Amino acid sequence: MGGHLEKRRSRGLNGHLWLLLPAALLILPFFVWPSVLIIGKSFSGDTGPFEQYRIVFANPGIRTVLAYTFYVSAVVTGITLVIGYPVAFVVTHLPKKIAAICVALIFLPFWVSTVIRTFAWMIILARKGPLNESLLAIGILSQPLRLLDNGVGMILAMVYIQIPFMVIPLINTMRTIDPSYMRAAAILGANPFSQIVRVYFPLSLPGAMVGSILVFISSLGFFVTPSLLGGSRTMLSILINQQASRLLNWPLASALATVALVLTAALFLIYKMVRRAAATSGGIA
Amino acid sequence: MKNEGVLWKILRLSVRGMTMLLLLAMLVPLAIIVILSLSDQSYLSFPPTAYSFRWYRSFLANSDYQSAIINSLTIGVSAAFLATVAGTLVAIAVIRGAIPGKNLLSTLMMAPAILPQIILAIGLYPISVLLSLNGTYWAVILAHAAVSIPFPFIAVCGALQGYSDRIEYAAMSLGASPRQTFRHITLPMIGASVFSGFVFALAFSIDELVLAIFLTSPSTRTLPLLLWQQLNYQVTPEIAAAATALLTFTLLLILSATIVRRFSQQKYKVSGA
Amino acid sequence: MMMGIGKIKAGCAVAIRELTKEYYPIVAVAPTSVDVASGGFFAIIGPSGSGKSTLLGILAGYVQPTAGRVEVNGKDILSEPMYRRNIGMVFQNYALFPHMTVAENIAFPLKMRGLQKAQVTERVRQSLAMVRLEQYRDRKPGMLSGGQQQRVALARAAIYQPSLLLMDEPLGALDKNLRDEMQEEIKRFQQELGITVIYVTHDQQEAAFLADRIGIMKDGAMVQIGTPRELYERPTSRFVAGFLGEASVFAITGLSAGSEASATIEGGLSMRINPANAARGGKYVCIRPENVMIGQEAARLPNVYEGVITESLYTAGSVRYRITAPAGQSLVSRALPHTGFQLYETGRTVKFGWSPDDVCVIN
Repeated sequence: MGGHLEKRRSRGLNGHLWLLLPAALLILPFFVWPSVLIIGKSFSGDTGPFEQYRIVFANPGIRTVLAYTFYVSAVVTGITLVIGYPVAFVVTHLPKKIAAICVALIFLPFWVSTVIRTFAWMIILARKGPLNESLLAIGILSQPLRLLDNGVGMILAMVYIQIPFMVIPLINTMRTIDPSYMRAAAILGANPFSQIVRVYFPLSLPGAMVGSILVFISSLGFFVTPSLLGGSRTMLSILINQQASRLLNWPLASALATVALVLTAALFLIYKMVRRAAATSGGIA
Repeated sequence: MKNEGVLWKILRLSVRGMTMLLLLAMLVPLAIIVILSLSDQSYLSFPPTAYSFRWYRSFLANSDYQSAIINSLTIGVSAAFLATVAGTLVAIAVIRGAIPGKNLLSTLMMAPAILPQIILAIGLYPISVLLSLNGTYWAVILAHAAVSIPFPFIAVCGALQGYSDRIEYAAMSLGASPRQTFRHITLPMIGASVFSGFVFALAFSIDELVLAIFLTSPSTRTLPLLLWQQLNYQVTPEIAAAATALLTFTLLLILSATIVRRFSQQKYKVSGA
Repeated sequence: MMMGIGKIKAGCAVAIRELTKEYYPIVAVAPTSVDVASGGFFAIIGPSGSGKSTLLGILAGYVQPTAGRVEVNGKDILSEPMYRRNIGMVFQNYALFPHMTVAENIAFPLKMRGLQKAQVTERVRQSLAMVRLEQYRDRKPGMLSGGQQQRVALARAAIYQPSLLLMDEPLGALDKNLRDEMQEEIKRFQQELGITVIYVTHDQQEAAFLADRIGIMKDGAMVQIGTPRELYERPTSRFVAGFLGEASVFAITGLSAGSEASATIEGGLSMRINPANAARGGKYVCIRPENVMIGQEAARLPNVYEGVITESLYTAGSVRYRITAPAGQSLVSRALPHTGFQLYETGRTVKFGWSPDDVCVIN
């Protein structure tokens, strides 16, 4: 049996392990090594291997940052889902060509540097920026809103940046929902509301899960937008950066990074499980 | 019953209308930057009261920007090239090869895109010092290459899954050696995706900031990093001009990849996939 | 019309010995031995997942067997890589190269063999004429119909004059009428070239039409090999009897051999059977519908019974009856309508019977 496997590997297009070599030369030293290094360094300290983690979970300042990071990520995920779901629904059911244009429109900002997109929001949300000016002009506001430096602007900009990560998985899932399910529900007596709530929504849940996890993961690690629009409140990435490059406290920075890494890995695992479950449970007809 | 129908129609139309508005709103921030870059004023205010190309002239004459653009292109093209070679080969191994642990392997290939870059950045900094790469082009090139492997990997996996491996078996049954099969069959079939993987990796590298903060020196400073430093220091419409240039370049790249892919899809209508 | 390629010197003889493929713990192909004569047309049929395509994959070289040998004209081919076996193959869904034109597809094997350009052009021209696709030479396969693609695949697989041609469900993607037409074309093609063909299909009629010998596969094992007639008239198992055509099958409760051989089936019905069949032994008897006679034709037979027609179905070309005997056995009879033919309605009590020679004893 083993001999045959070897024979098989040495033959044809199949199984040439050398195909993995270039990727290994990049991924091992420049992805795996740094990850391991950080985890290793996080267990260093004068009083024992868990010193840094004691600080992370005991220091009220750090705990506030962690809680705030979770809060912002959750709020951004929620808003993105509420906005993204109807958008994905509409785009999915448009004629093919128009849908392709819409998907391109959704994806377009994704390819623009986060620095630039955040910069745009700095302008839009400024005290005398176009948003305040136009709201004042219409008469909705009597005095300009304070949107920068208090988290509101940051969340708005993050939602804008994260929308593609939510809409694309939703569209992918919604495309696999056979319209005959809705027709079957209709002929069985379900009104349009029940058709959507009882039939369509449950079938689209895997897409919503995948999108939400992606947005949440990516929000946890956001750096540029919180730095420029976050004001005085700090998110995890900024704290890691401060500890590492300003205070040169690498062990603490590593412990914080390890916390983020473990969280991300755990969420990514859930993401893989959701996708696999969706793929096996008749999502693909 | 009839009223209910009208109600649904109104609801449907309004959801559709709001979606279209939102899609257009996606473009507003980009439009604002473009408009601002044409401002004639010496400070940022929107909308500008007068328009000119003066900030473009100033941007083009600025030696900081010039070297940043050259650095970004050098780093981007090199990193994208390495990522494309590595990502393409792994994709072939994962989709067509007989190797163990394919699931784990593709997860590992995807991981760099998921991990927050700040984590990688603080891990890579000591490594680049250790390997005496710090401050050289190679530090950023190799980091960007590792992180952008997912782009060519996903694109080529998609292309390979798009046609049956019977096509390659057919070539071999007709007398083509593995090398000839790759050259005459596999490569033409995945060519467009390899190209778009390269472009996406290039676009990623050219836009990337966090790794650049940690791994560049003043002499290898990239365009996003320069923009970042300017934003934290002094904000003039020159930034908008630079941002517009970067934005235009990235979008042209993406457009070219889209066109190549669309074109090749029309060319080879894969039968019986 | 087939002059373009020229008669292949001689189709090769294929000997498959104890060929096995395991994807541990699944046995995809149990030890299988088959001989295909030079110039023979051997069809492998079986339900999906029975291992027939895996077997073909081993012969072509893209599936590596766990054990066994395959000899072509006495020479072991399993140690050769796929591209040096010089075997032609028509793949499921054809596997035409979508980025090459029809002419480029057909020229591909010649180019891989390093033929001169002029020679390639000439051979491709002849081959295109042979499959009547001259006017499509510069089209991409995606723009051809299913039947045209099928012909390109055939031309491409035959242009380098392999002595063995493998075909994996080549007509599976075509509709009924086109399939019938292509069957004729493939048969003519094979006979004129004198090539040896191993052909995989799940369609038993297609196999019976094309092949001179058929192997039936089930769960990775070749359960019976024979001519179409042998398989139909002398199935050895319940599976083969049911897979090829229709049959009434009953469990045997008592079997006596000797010159007055007879079998008793469930429900106590007893029948005379051919002593040679009885000697082989088995668990079931099997009677083909066209051997079950009704009315006067039945009266003179040794096995004659009385029953009620419970179903009478007139279809194009034949009548199918279901008859239920008093003890509850139900069997199928088929008759060919002809002039003056009597159609029995449902509910009518009739005499029915069959000859002892038409009773198969099977496992």
